[in-house]
Amino acid sequence: MTQLAGARAGVPLIDGIDKVTGRARYTADLDHRGALVGRILRSPCSHAQILRLDVERARRLPGVVAILTGEDCRVPYGVLPIAMNEYPLARGKVRYRGEPVAAVAAIDAETAALALSLIELEVHELPAYYEADQARAADAVRIHDDKPGNLEREVHHSFGDVAAGFATADLVRETVIDCAEVNHAQIEPHAALAEFDPSTGRLTMQSVSQVTFYLHMMLARCLEMDESRIRVIKPFVGGGFGARVEVLNFELVTAMLARTAGGKVAMELTREETFITHRARPQTRIRMKLGLGRDGRLRACECEVVQRGGAYAGYGVITILYAGSLLHGLYDLPAVRYDGYRVYANLPPCGAMRGHGSVDTRHAFELLLDRMARELGLDPFEVRRRNLLHAPTRTLNELAINSYGLAECLDRVEAASGWRTRRGRLPRGKGLGMACSHYVSGAAKPIHWTGEPHAVVNVKVDWDGSVTAFTGAADIGQGSSTMVAIAVAETLGLPIEQVRVIAADSATTPKDNGAYSSRITFMVGNAAIDAARRLRTLLTEAAARRLERDPADIDCTDGRFRSLSAADQGISFTDAVKAALVDQGTLTVKGTFTCPPEAQGGKHRGGAVGSTMGFSYAAQVVEVSVDEDTGRVSVDRVWVALDCGFAINPLAVRGQIEGAVWMGMGQALMEETRYLNGMPAHASLLEYRMPTSLDSPPIDAMIVESIDPNGPFGAKEASEGALASFAPALAAAIADAIGVDLDVLPATPDRVLDAVIARRRRERLDALAGGRR
Amino acid sequence: MTAPLPLPRLRLIRPTTVEAAIAARADCPQHEFLAGGTDLLVNMRRGLLAPPALIDITGIAELGEMRTTGDRTRIGALVPLARLAEDPVIADRHAALQAAAASIAAPGHRRLGTVGGNLCLQTRCIYFNQSAWWRAANGACLKSGGEVCHVAPEGTRCHAAFSGDLAPALIALDADIEVARPGGRRRVACADLYHEEGRAHLRLAADEIVTAIEVPATATRSGYLKERVRRSFDFPLAGVAIACRIEGERLSALRIGVTGTNSRPLLIDGTDALLGHRVDESLLTAAEKLVAKQVRPMRTTLFPSNHRRSIAAALTRRLLGTLAAPETAAVRGPSTEGP
Ligand SMILES: Cc1cc2nc3c(=O)[nH]c(=O)nc-3n(C[C@H](O)[C@H](O)[C@H](O)COP(=O)(O)OP(=O)(O)OC[C@H]3O[C@@H](n4cnc5c(N)ncnc54)[C@H](O)[C@@H]3O)c2cc1C
Ligand code: SF4
Repeated sequence: MTQLAGARAGVPLIDGIDKVTGRARYTADLDHRGALVGRILRSPCSHAQILRLDVERARRLPGVVAILTGEDCRVPYGVLPIAMNEYPLARGKVRYRGEPVAAVAAIDAETAALALSLIELEVHELPAYYEADQARAADAVRIHDDKPGNLEREVHHSFGDVAAGFATADLVRETVIDCAEVNHAQIEPHAALAEFDPSTGRLTMQSVSQVTFYLHMMLARCLEMDESRIRVIKPFVGGGFGARVEVLNFELVTAMLARTAGGKVAMELTREETFITHRARPQTRIRMKLGLGRDGRLRACECEVVQRGGAYAGYGVITILYAGSLLHGLYDLPAVRYDGYRVYANLPPCGAMRGHGSVDTRHAFELLLDRMARELGLDPFEVRRRNLLHAPTRTLNELAINSYGLAECLDRVEAASGWRTRRGRLPRGKGLGMACSHYVSGAAKPIHWTGEPHAVVNVKVDWDGSVTAFTGAADIGQGSSTMVAIAVAETLGLPIEQVRVIAADSATTPKDNGAYSSRITFMVGNAAIDAARRLRTLLTEAAARRLERDPADIDCTDGRFRSLSAADQGISFTDAVKAALVDQGTLTVKGTFTCPPEAQGGKHRGGAVGSTMGFSYAAQVVEVSVDEDTGRVSVDRVWVALDCGFAINPLAVRGQIEGAVWMGMGQALMEETRYLNGMPAHASLLEYRMPTSLDSPPIDAMIVESIDPNGPFGAKEASEGALASFAPALAAAIADAIGVDLDVLPATPDRVLDAVIARRRRERLDALAGGRR
Repeated sequence: MTAPLPLPRLRLIRPTTVEAAIAARADCPQHEFLAGGTDLLVNMRRGLLAPPALIDITGIAELGEMRTTGDRTRIGALVPLARLAEDPVIADRHAALQAAAASIAAPGHRRLGTVGGNLCLQTRCIYFNQSAWWRAANGACLKSGGEVCHVAPEGTRCHAAFSGDLAPALIALDADIEVARPGGRRRVACADLYHEEGRAHLRLAADEIVTAIEVPATATRSGYLKERVRRSFDFPLAGVAIACRIEGERLSALRIGVTGTNSRPLLIDGTDALLGHRVDESLLTAAEKLVAKQVRPMRTTLFPSNHRRSIAAALTRRLLGTLAAPETAAVRGPSTEGP
């Protein structure tokens, strides 16, 4: 072991220097010479029939090269094969304010803007629905003709004997929790650059995508092109968090403009347009009911979730399934009933966001568990410990649990935070709270099931001794290319600097499903190890031939191939390569990874969602100060432990844990989208408030290594697991600090103050009642 | 490649004297003065205004001066906020002013943003501070040339909120604003620089410019508390500045300035009734009530207006309580810390 042995601090990301020096080229920094400027006209209405869309005046404007409307978009798109109900530009009807209606490509931004202003749109407005219950009302107009009740999908799952579970519980409580819609707010606004070459009929697309393969496929579909004529390249990407895990309308529009113009088109969305493109975590109402024994054992769980999904399907079906399936897998639950409703509304479509589907239900679960523990006089840590799973096992809904480090996570944060000595002894206004969470290491069943392996990595070695790994995996800042470099270098016994990674260019790299559901480390990491092992075998054989020894006698470490029996016999890595290239020439080997069928979830409808090769686990303690006069909540400190199986790169794992905590803090404290009659009032970084460095507490991030039997070097995912426990830990800390139970997220000052006022009123009434007695 | 929303082409006029600056404005009242540009350019990019030319006043040396004499501090309109926030003399003599300056926006804005620009800051409203597409789709309001106010559709005025942080401090500190106009200069009490009308909140004629502020150095304790959702980079939900004097444990002077709640920064009326009393619970409650009664927050932000009222009242109680505590001479409240 080279990188992975001993006390490991980890390595900086291999593209870090490019980023901090500004050398890195993001989509908007690419070579825009000769590019036309693309712009999109957006709907001013929430819900309307398009009566007339006249682009003739715009078309006649000098400098306008291409102009498109829904008439030019014949094929619908969408990330789920079963729910493709969106067109790149609206056809016939608009369903939310900001929906793309027409697009132009012009010689410059001024001309493009002027052209948009010349387009005439006449509509017949329809009733619009901004809340799930309005959209579900009996007399509501349908947003999509084929969806009565504006219901995109309902899910009803029941496992175990729920009624019996509640009957045997000593305490049964039910609560309704409301979580606001949030957005990824990744730092790079959306952008795309498309070039169509009329002489070859080829399209080259560069975009901010997390899923270049899906983009490739969807471009072929919507442009009705042969896949082989398309090349998709991912430049540096400034974050995603799920914003870019489905193909987005502006990407398709940019490519269509380029083809119509017969040239190059650059599209850069404003921050406002980036917010409108949305695809993030929906506004969610959760009715959670738990049954608990006096012994702290969970007896039953009943959960109803309503998600306001926005105007189109997107990932909606998956989100509503995740919300239920990931009730399982964290604790030992004997009975679970889940009812989920994904509802259409006249707002920007929601989608996948870090912690996809699980965050809001986890919040409600942990929150209620905390309150019930308090009622029974049980310590929050103890209650969790009484309900731990034991790996290997399978959950009621057939999720495979192969490694489980939650117990150690609990021990670590309990000790580090001084929970036992400090909890309950802090001055008024200060409090401690804790909660747990988990997340999948990649969906075990991909959305586009083709029978291919889940991941393929190619590794090339050439006469110069250089090793190049080719992966389709999109590094969007999470560090996946660095992980591939470590996996290959480690397996070949090389320093990481000797491995180059080429990622996400469909002309050179193998297909990869993309950066979502925290799949890359597990799947691509395993494929990279597989490829490197195959290469090692070839090189070992070549070295053995050169050294005239048996291959079983050859070991490869520290850049050398050595004989195990005769220590002085050895050749350098480069010489081994040269030996291997004789008669063969340049070597390219392929590694793959496939999730076995037994990891792919239950047979029930939707049973694949939530299935994974390995769950990460997290526990965290949050310490807060609450100002009861202003309602302000300050996070003073966070202790968090994450079981990521094995930290291939501890530095990157710590960064991911801190990022997850920080993102959880944003959702818990201040982030929320706000629509005024469907207008996005939050669509700037001033109004969509995220914590600043001054709002950020010290975070003690601890790594727990449960060594997963199937993970690459034992690793599991490290990015999403620690997210969902922040909000419930914060809510528990607020309750501890000021005796207020919040049923809403985020805990903005106004909501906290309202809750304080309500508590005071209650206390006064109680005092009055007590006085009378 | 140009940004998706380029600034419109514009002309820059660069006077080097105050007289030339106001002459340029008198020529064409649609020209706008440009100081740090941290408000103006943001608004122009959003298409909120499109002046035919900008009168860049940053070349007028006189406006950049700051001078302390025995009984007054004179601060030129171009003095950057960062300088006020970092100057130990300001912190010592006019604690409220220092705290207010330190609470504005983020470090980058404070290096560029100026005193004059802060006093002349445009009023803000969630229906107005949006993109051109947004405002067109939503329908124009009174402030953007339409017929109706989306915040208070029955009314005839605009309620966009004044959100500058310096003004309440200057009001509490009883500062004067010096205004230059053709033929001379006039001075006006800070509170009198403003109207309660979101469309035209400044009482400045088209050919007038703010040149300096003068803050008297009386022996008062002062401080500023600002509440916002995040600790940096955020306008006030409400901000309260207080200057007071305590003699023999009794309140002998009290001025309260409030921002973020109305279309102008407010000088709270009726504080004289509190003079001569000890600063105890009942006095704090009375002060809190004065503020709660006089502020008029409307739904111009994403935060409920009643909450902004409660905050203004709570900050008043807290700040006055702290200032009156014997050990305090100056206060930089917990929510105004920051780099
Ligand atoms: C993200 C963000 C956050 C912000 N947060 C805050 C905040 O928390 N608190 C706060 O108070 N402000 C805030 N601001 C607004 C702004 O940064 C400051 O108010 C700053 O002081 C404005 O000064 P300036 O010199 O940049 O003004 P400019 O933008 O140059 O001018 C502002 C207005 O004043 C006029 N003007 C400028 N100087 C004069 C003069 N001498 N005489 C007459 N008119 C003049 C201009 O014509 C213009 O109309 C924020 C801005 C941004 C972009
Ligand atoms: S208060 Fe009314 S008139 Fe003024 S900006 Fe807001 S919506 Fe427009």
